[in-house]
Amino acid sequence: MKTPEPTACHEMEALLPAYVEHSLPAAEAERVAAHLPTCPGCQLQVTQLRALSDDLDAALPEVPRTALRANFIAMLEQQKAQLKPEATFAAPPAPPEAKVVSMWPTALANNWLRIAASIVLIAAGVLLGRNLHWGAQPPADLAANTRPAHAELAQALTGSNGNTVSASDRIQLVTNSSRQNEPGDPTVQVLINTLNFDPNPNVRLAACEALYRLRDDSRVREALVHSLPIQTDPNVQITLIDMLVSMRVRRAVPQLERLAKRPDALPVVRAQAEAGIGKLI
Amino acid sequence: MAAVKADDLDQLVPLFERYHGPLFNYLTRLTNDRETSEDLTQTVFERILKYRSSYQPTQPFKAWVYQMARNVHADHWHRKEKLRAADVDEVERTGGLRGAAFSQMRVSNHHDDLHEALALLPTPQREILVLNRFQGFGYEEIGKLLGCTAEAARVKAHRALQALRKIYFAN
Ligand SMILES: [Zn+2]
Repeated sequence: MKTPEPTACHEMEALLPAYVEHSLPAAEAERVAAHLPTCPGCQLQVTQLRALSDDLDAALPEVPRTALRANFIAMLEQQKAQLKPEATFAAPPAPPEAKVVSMWPTALANNWLRIAASIVLIAAGVLLGRNLHWGAQPPADLAANTRPAHAELAQALTGSNGNTVSASDRIQLVTNSSRQNEPGDPTVQVLINTLNFDPNPNVRLAACEALYRLRDDSRVREALVHSLPIQTDPNVQITLIDMLVSMRVRRAVPQLERLAKRPDALPVVRAQAEAGIGKLI
Repeated sequence: MAAVKADDLDQLVPLFERYHGPLFNYLTRLTNDRETSEDLTQTVFERILKYRSSYQPTQPFKAWVYQMARNVHADHWHRKEKLRAADVDEVERTGGLRGAAFSQMRVSNHHDDLHEALALLPTPQREILVLNRFQGFGYEEIGKLLGCTAEAARVKAHRALQALRKIYFAN
């Protein structure tokens, strides 16, 4: 058996991806099929391309945080608010009232239902997606460098050491705080305080997730239940509901019932609370 | 999208639901940075609203929105370059701070070999593979988006796949 010409292999390199995905015209596919048995190098390429293709097909998508949706909804509401006076005052030839009215309550109700459904899905996806990796250890240097003792953590988070810490840095602190902890860790109390009192909803959300990682600690369930009436941000509310449901915390039901009736809660939050009650009882 | 164009902004919600995940993925693969990609995804939807009157109903929405996402990413890239040139010290200082936050945010879900290999590809090659393999774009659609023929898109995608293979199986 003679060694294949290097030029032949070079030509093969361009053809093999199409060969593997079965999109080569018959004549070229035949040429590849004739070359392959004579050439271990090209055979290896085919094996690798197939494996790579399978791995690409199996790759999981990145899931955005729920904050993305919250920001989008906020932006949309802002744009709608800007639009309304224009529609009334600029008065284009078509009847503007019809346009304004039609956006209100029926269209909105429909959309809220749609948002509600998708938030549930996304939130579940976030939980599941993160769950898979929560067990994994962070790189050792990162954990060592950024994990202060609970007292320092509390100081840093509340700014009581005189330094103001930005929201994104607080998120970082909170996220790293729960990587390695032992039973009775005072970090849990720090995180509970952050969940209830940090002014930034994204930091509170990070505290939720950090606490969820520490859910084996007996204080966590209680704290999540008690935090429900304190929270006003819809993302934090929905995250709490999802966590309580996934941890099957039945004593959250009375709080969920109250939340489901709260007039200041968004319809989507109230619907989620209702759904949560349904799953817990 | 025609309804959004006619100022019924609530009709953007179902479009957001359908596209924000894929767009976020696309941008995350381009930037290798989840936090930035959330901002850029938001920017895409801001621009959809801002430029809604320029939407042609004959045009597929998907093509239009990905074109928008490409532009948003290109702007982000240029801004970053300009910033780097304008004030290296400043970027180094804040870059260091942000670096700490990014180290766990960026592509946090997958610390696997495949995504590491993808991240090593030049951006144009990575983009074409992401569109083809993760976003469900056919070669025809890729060609339209990148301004080349479907056949050229196919050749580029295959070259990118070979390049990825070499990185992926390097050791
Ligand atoms: Zn060969």
